[in-house]
Amino acid sequence: MAKREVFQLTQSQKMMVFILSMSLYGLSNMFTELIPSLQLGPVELSVEYFAFIPLTLCILFHPLYAAIGASLGEIIFGELMLGQFGGIGEIEKFITFSLGMYIAGILVRNPLNRMQVGVAVMSGLIVHHLLGMIVDIGKVWVGVEELEAVKGLAESIIVIEGVAFLNDLLFSGILFALLPTLYLVPRLYGKIEPLLGMKPRNKDDRYTMKEIVTPRFVVIGIVLSAIAIIAEFLSETEFSFGEWEPDFMEMFGDWFIWIVIGVAAVIAVITIALMARKNRTQRSKLNNVA
Amino acid sequence: MNYVKDMREKLNIEYVKSELIKTAYGGKETFLASLHPRTLIIWYLFFGIVPWFIHNKIVLSCFLVLMVVLTIMARVSPLIIVILCAGLLGEIGFLLLVSLVFGGGLASLLPMFWLTVKLAVIALASIAVFTSMDPERFSDALLSFGVPGQASFSVSFGYRILPTLVEEFQRVFLSYRLRGKAPETHGIFYWRTASYYLKLLVLSFYPLILNSAKRSRTTVEALETKGFSYSFTNAEVKKMKLAHLTYTYKDPLFLIGTVAYISFAFWLGTFIS
Repeated sequence: MAKREVFQLTQSQKMMVFILSMSLYGLSNMFTELIPSLQLGPVELSVEYFAFIPLTLCILFHPLYAAIGASLGEIIFGELMLGQFGGIGEIEKFITFSLGMYIAGILVRNPLNRMQVGVAVMSGLIVHHLLGMIVDIGKVWVGVEELEAVKGLAESIIVIEGVAFLNDLLFSGILFALLPTLYLVPRLYGKIEPLLGMKPRNKDDRYTMKEIVTPRFVVIGIVLSAIAIIAEFLSETEFSFGEWEPDFMEMFGDWFIWIVIGVAAVIAVITIALMARKNRTQRSKLNNVA
Repeated sequence: MNYVKDMREKLNIEYVKSELIKTAYGGKETFLASLHPRTLIIWYLFFGIVPWFIHNKIVLSCFLVLMVVLTIMARVSPLIIVILCAGLLGEIGFLLLVSLVFGGGLASLLPMFWLTVKLAVIALASIAVFTSMDPERFSDALLSFGVPGQASFSVSFGYRILPTLVEEFQRVFLSYRLRGKAPETHGIFYWRTASYYLKLLVLSFYPLILNSAKRSRTTVEALETKGFSYSFTNAEVKKMKLAHLTYTYKDPLFLIGTVAYISFAFWLGTFIS
């Protein structure tokens, strides 16, 4: 009996959530790419993205499919179609953004509880932006050879990234993620689910431990530890700012970050493949029943 | 003033829409478009990663020349080039400004310039490749690399659904504008007007989410009647679907030519320094 309460979607419902999240977030991304930003001295007030769309969908539906759909939508509409595809760099954005949205989605048990939704939104955003900031700093570190030789460059990059982080979190985060999500979630709850032919998420619905611990959990764990390694690497180099050994950079910096990111990406891909297979077996079981 | 007016006329949503549709569907007679998409993706994987680790200025300049030539050959839309240039210049200018504040002086200009070159090489490579690839071909190439069917499907779906989505969004947005009342004064720095439009932009997504939910259900149902998710797991179907992609003599030629050019660039780089 307890098994009935587990929140589950069929394969086609997952696909619906995926398509919905992809096309909507992709569309919003095209607009935000084209809205000019306002520069007030060092603070840039820009509409980074309309994170409220994937956040709302993650909270109302299956978080994993909504999160991956949104990231893919951003890549297709916002990057490929506008010719801004950063290539390998997008993998990092894909992973951090999906992770942030996913975390926000699983934190919410009751979509009508505003407090819960608010906390979930902010923690999802913090996860996404913090990881993004760390990777960004690492990229400049790898890309600029004479970083240590030029006075002020290293500090300025950290300041810029820090300001961007705060801007993303406090300006874009509150105006375009927190407030709209708080407005939309209670309004859409119970209305949008029947359109996709499913029941609204119940307060008592939960994910079974088995579902959480399998591939997803492993990915999150591995990605987080990979990030931790990068963070450690960065903090170590920060201490030896003045006397940076060039060969340390040569033997470590150049490929290290990319290997970590690559491993994380490979694992993510493998997991997605595994999950696809899992769904396939589930479906074939259903077929057998039929 | 005329120039500004011209720019404003060009940068309205209709222009953007038509440019994007042109990017997605037009200009398929270029050299890059005639290559096998797999070749292009492999080629791109090299130029998406390797430039990050090259610090030799000669090699980077050689790469940049190659990319500029390929971008011209791919006949990329001017809108995309403008967006790219604005992005690159803005980022570098801002970095420079802050590092001046920290006392870096103009000395930081040179390394930043080479970072810009690097970024430009990577961005131009992706523009040249992805604008000359038909969305259909791109999604098939992804499928042939073993990317899950859902992901490769969504690429071509995205390109197809875009005009409908933009149109629907425009309708919702305009109806909100008709019913609402725009602020009478612009306020300092146009903040009143800006916040009014941004609020409408966010609100417009509420009906749009509901409409898209209905549409995505219809889409998935239509796909399932054609055996969509079954066909992804079936090797036979995949083979049939990918049969139209063939290699021609151009593909090895292109790759060999690139390898030769890269070796030349590296030789030149070591020879000069």
